Amino acid sequence: MTTVDRAAAAPPVRDQSAKRRWVGQSIRRVEDPKFLLGRGGYIADRITPSCLHAAVLRSPHAHARIVRIEAAQAKAAPGVHAVITGAEAAELCDPMPDFGPDPARHTWRCLAAEKVRYVGEGVAVVVADSRYLAEDALELIEVSYEPLPAVTDPERALAEGAPLVHEALESNCAYERTFDFGDVDRDFAEADLVVRDRLRWHRSGGQPLETVGAIAEYDPGTGSFTIDTNTLSFTSYLFMAAGTLKVPVNKLDIRPVPAGGSFGSKLFANKPAVIAAMCARQTGRKVAYLEDRVDNISNCDHHGSDRVYEVELAVMRDGTMRGIKIDVIDDYGAYIQFGVGHHGNALAQVVGPYTIGSVRYRVRAALTNKNQQGAYRGFGSEVNNWMLEQMVELAARELGLDPVAVRRKNFIRDFPHFIPTGNVYDSGDYDRVLDKALELADYGHWRAEQKRLREEEGRYIGIGLISAQERSVFSATEFWFWFDEPGAPVTSTPESVSLKVDATGGITAILYSCAFWGNSPETMVSQFVAEEFDCSPYDVSVVYHGSRDGLPATGPGGSRTTVMLAGAVEGAAGKIKEKARRAAAHLLEIDPDDMEWSDGGFQVRGDPERKKSLAEIAIALHLFKHSFPADMESGLDESKVFDHPYTTMPSADRKDLGVFYPFMGHACHVPVVEVDIETGAVTFLHYAAVHDCGTLVNPRSLAGHIVGGTAQGIGTALYEEYVYDDDGQLLSSSYLDYLIPSAMEVPELVIGHVETPSPYTPHGVKGGGEGGRMMAPAAINAAVNDALYPLGVRLTELPMTPERILSALRAAGPMGGRAG
Amino acid sequence: MKPPPFSYAAPTSLAEAVGLLTEHAEAEPRVLAGGQSLIPLMNFRLAKPGYLIDLRNVAGLSGIRREGDILVIGAMTRMSEVERSAEVAVAAPLLAEAVGFIAHTPVRNSGTVGGSLAHADPAAELPAVALASDADLVAAGPGGTRRIAAAEFFTGPFSTALAPEEILTEIRLPVWPGGHAFVEFSRIHANFAVVGVAALIDLDGDRIRRAALALTGVAPTAIRAAAAEGVLAGADAADVTAAAAEAAGAAAEGLTPAGDLHASPQTRLALARTYLRRGIELATSRARNER
Amino acid sequence: MAPTTCTISVTVNGRPHVAEVEPRRLLVDFLREDLGLPGTHIGCEHGVCGTCTVLLNGASIRSCITFAVQADGAEISTVEGLARGGEFHPLQDEFSAKQGLQCGYCTPGMLMRACEIIAENPDPTPAEVRSAIASNLCRCTGYQFITEAVIAAAARMRATKEVAS
Repeated sequence: MTTVDRAAAAPPVRDQSAKRRWVGQSIRRVEDPKFLLGRGGYIADRITPSCLHAAVLRSPHAHARIVRIEAAQAKAAPGVHAVITGAEAAELCDPMPDFGPDPARHTWRCLAAEKVRYVGEGVAVVVADSRYLAEDALELIEVSYEPLPAVTDPERALAEGAPLVHEALESNCAYERTFDFGDVDRDFAEADLVVRDRLRWHRSGGQPLETVGAIAEYDPGTGSFTIDTNTLSFTSYLFMAAGTLKVPVNKLDIRPVPAGGSFGSKLFANKPAVIAAMCARQTGRKVAYLEDRVDNISNCDHHGSDRVYEVELAVMRDGTMRGIKIDVIDDYGAYIQFGVGHHGNALAQVVGPYTIGSVRYRVRAALTNKNQQGAYRGFGSEVNNWMLEQMVELAARELGLDPVAVRRKNFIRDFPHFIPTGNVYDSGDYDRVLDKALELADYGHWRAEQKRLREEEGRYIGIGLISAQERSVFSATEFWFWFDEPGAPVTSTPESVSLKVDATGGITAILYSCAFWGNSPETMVSQFVAEEFDCSPYDVSVVYHGSRDGLPATGPGGSRTTVMLAGAVEGAAGKIKEKARRAAAHLLEIDPDDMEWSDGGFQVRGDPERKKSLAEIAIALHLFKHSFPADMESGLDESKVFDHPYTTMPSADRKDLGVFYPFMGHACHVPVVEVDIETGAVTFLHYAAVHDCGTLVNPRSLAGHIVGGTAQGIGTALYEEYVYDDDGQLLSSSYLDYLIPSAMEVPELVIGHVETPSPYTPHGVKGGGEGGRMMAPAAINAAVNDALYPLGVRLTELPMTPERILSALRAAGPMGGRAG
Repeated sequence: MKPPPFSYAAPTSLAEAVGLLTEHAEAEPRVLAGGQSLIPLMNFRLAKPGYLIDLRNVAGLSGIRREGDILVIGAMTRMSEVERSAEVAVAAPLLAEAVGFIAHTPVRNSGTVGGSLAHADPAAELPAVALASDADLVAAGPGGTRRIAAAEFFTGPFSTALAPEEILTEIRLPVWPGGHAFVEFSRIHANFAVVGVAALIDLDGDRIRRAALALTGVAPTAIRAAAAEGVLAGADAADVTAAAAEAAGAAAEGLTPAGDLHASPQTRLALARTYLRRGIELATSRARNER
Repeated sequence: MAPTTCTISVTVNGRPHVAEVEPRRLLVDFLREDLGLPGTHIGCEHGVCGTCTVLLNGASIRSCITFAVQADGAEISTVEGLARGGEFHPLQDEFSAKQGLQCGYCTPGMLMRACEIIAENPDPTPAEVRSAIASNLCRCTGYQFITEAVIAAAARMRATKEVAS
């Protein structure tokens, strides 16, 4: 059972009442000027004339043995320096880093060696003087395949007799376990009603406008690789990438460059870096490998969740929700690099904002002949939000209760609140968010309009209202609490910042592994540093350090960056101030305890006349060693390796997973849609979104993420899907068919902010970058169902394409279908 | 996604261009107009012409002029010019409206009317406009020029009646006196049409004298909806809803549209009926308002 | 067999260039690599996303589906030509003020398209701006702050024209 004393394990509660000068300001972003000038320095911008270029030959088959590859003609083609087949790559490189349940049996390589497992899997790479010449040579490579039957439906993949994606695994089920939290059987026995449904969420993905790329160099003199790439994260795990490249860790330096978007898809995306590095070592030259769009759509290794749910929700007649039984099959594709971590994200907030007392969670990871899943904004928790809110809506309908009232009936109101899985919600005020959302949504007006437009004009308007969680800052325990005897029960997820004060008092902040993806790490850090040191955020210089001689760091993901950078900056600043205090005290010949920080420097307590500014302290420390005691080193730089501030261990029986995602944000989205029942088109009439991510560092920036995340949620709800046919052919292989919302598909959002600070983090910040996408699919599905309720139609499959909507209307019969 | 290599010429006369097509026939030559359809195919390496003949410098291939009751548009006229043309707005408003559905402004700045027609995408807008308008397409080849009726021009998906050495030089659209509508269903704004309808309605008093209807996206080429046109003849323009629905139903009979990831055949049929009805209603209402 | 090349003359951001290019060389690669102007980005290479948008003789085009040879004799404007004398163009300044960018990758194409939008319609409504920028995909911002930035820039540019005239 639970072994943790919950009260004792929590970090100290902080006083968040301080007045802030920079945190909370919607300042212009520090990052912007270079991007506006077209000098962003993205990976493709760093290609030099001396670079060679790689292009990858991809499999046209979903599942096939590679019988033979003839590369002689390609090798002889103009401008070609090397051709490396998958079999050759398997000699040059070890398998890719893999956090999956059984990497020896679902082995993943940078290029397929013996067989291909999805359309688009790379089988060979050409290195040539230009990308044009490399692609010309690709066409000269002859590959003989022996096609094998493919499986693309996860339920069929788990059935008897399905073609095996990995023979060594002897099954297409890579992981299966049922977790029980609380007393599920009692809650279901005592329920007045059990509401059941089957739900299907198809995979979409981040699809940033910039693909993944890397430029690699190998120095045979030192045996070292230097790789510039737009993906860098989990520095401490980069020994795995070094292992892949068969070099010692201290001979691998991965240096981050700004990325044109990620949304998760550049998280630990090491395959292009490995391919570029392998080619660099073989050719003795600098090699650039930039995915093109087709490479990325078919082969990015970051498809999103792909789930089939069978759910039962136990409720009382008065709307109280007692327990939930979730049976989920997740189609992971041909590999499973992050294990079932996406379900940890779900379990962190599996009961949503509700006092549901028990949870049974059965998860099965199915392998199929598709590109594997990776990370996509929400990392699996957005799917849980959608599933849960669909069930709440269904329960409200079946009980004949108002959906807003059902939510209020079940809201958690006491914080910190431990949910049945063991995770904690640190703070929140769900009523306040809901109230504000109802107000901004003009809810009463739209309910009246809905009725009027249906009666007077036969139009189908729907209002979706959902309340859901947006967790932030994952713990490492989420990687391994899936196993009773994990091989590596890791507990570190650090973030580091070094602060250097130069002789003029100027501050440089060094970030490690903290990629720029469109999140605003420089602005965040500059605002935190400005808050600490009373300088202008625009005077702070922020640099990104490579991995080899950098401090441990994890990077963005799970909306952790703001909190972790806040902690690292606070820690480093604290150390700087400690030394600066001692130095100032020494210079002024005062006891350090009689000094206080005030307005950019240390002064004698209450006496601004006797003060040393940071610049005065800094120049003294840099240049006047003899002015200080012998034990005080020159300079003024300090680092903080800040680790997750609130993690507790899971119990041995896994009935309590501990605290692993404590900083819990919350939001309410209220879209108003119209469904054209002749075409299946869904248009937005209004959209209100209220988010609570604790204290906001830069409110405008967070609002931008809410809109952008909602736009991606609209894509997931209505337009975007990686569509594979029964033979495993990827039908949505370009932007002609993988449909990204334009400005005409995304409405203007009315945005509200609520701030209930976290008691545990600097300034009370929580993460919030993923929230929009974690809410929108649930809200839009609810809205469409609300619109179609009079026709007896309920959509339970995303995306809700015109085809799916019209099919459902046809199936509903004469009430539903409408001929032209 | 870089295109494969090709030989290239940018001739300055039509005769030279036709000559090059003939001379380099074995290299699978193609003409390059705006490139907005061809170049993406080349970037995918789905099209690999050995020779590209760029028409950008050939004199006399672009421009919009009126020849009596015919609006003549040079094949190399950019779509954006057609979209903005006062002449087109008056003489062929169906065309002006349809062009507004073709992708986005940047594509229309480069893309040409002739390029789109010669590309003959089964879901493209302009072939439907040409069919509904009973346009003639003029081709120049080694043997001289000839006129091809739109009804004969589109022979299959991405194929036309143009011979390999022929170049489309102009489109001749009869001016239409009545109401017009181009409507289409696309999943994302300005994306390619799942289904599109070109409708022209001519009135005699309050009765429909003549209708010309064409569909795109429902067959291997854009098609004329002759059966639907028959239903509408003589219909009451003041209350056209029932006739429009009946006409739409008649058009759907015998249509066997393909299915793809965006729409099943059944959905395409339903959308065709819906958009035919909507196009007829809109064109009729405009015809009435313009009297 | 060595590929044949063509000689092209293009003026880019006011500066004339003469260059030898393979006919198949895409305009976006010519600008980025041959002329050292990496501000124009590659998003999809099949003409859908608009990331590669530049102006050709003042009209927006997609440089990933245009050959460099098709720009012979033309005047091209890219993002590198917007700022003058160390000062942001009003569009650049308003994109910063309104936070109309996050990752910045779609931004150069969006800025060039916005130049054309305002040139054609100096006083656009938000709906008109939204409809016009539908040509350019953005994955980060959801378009709201971009729309605000374009409206604000248009207002400033009108005011400057009024002052100038």
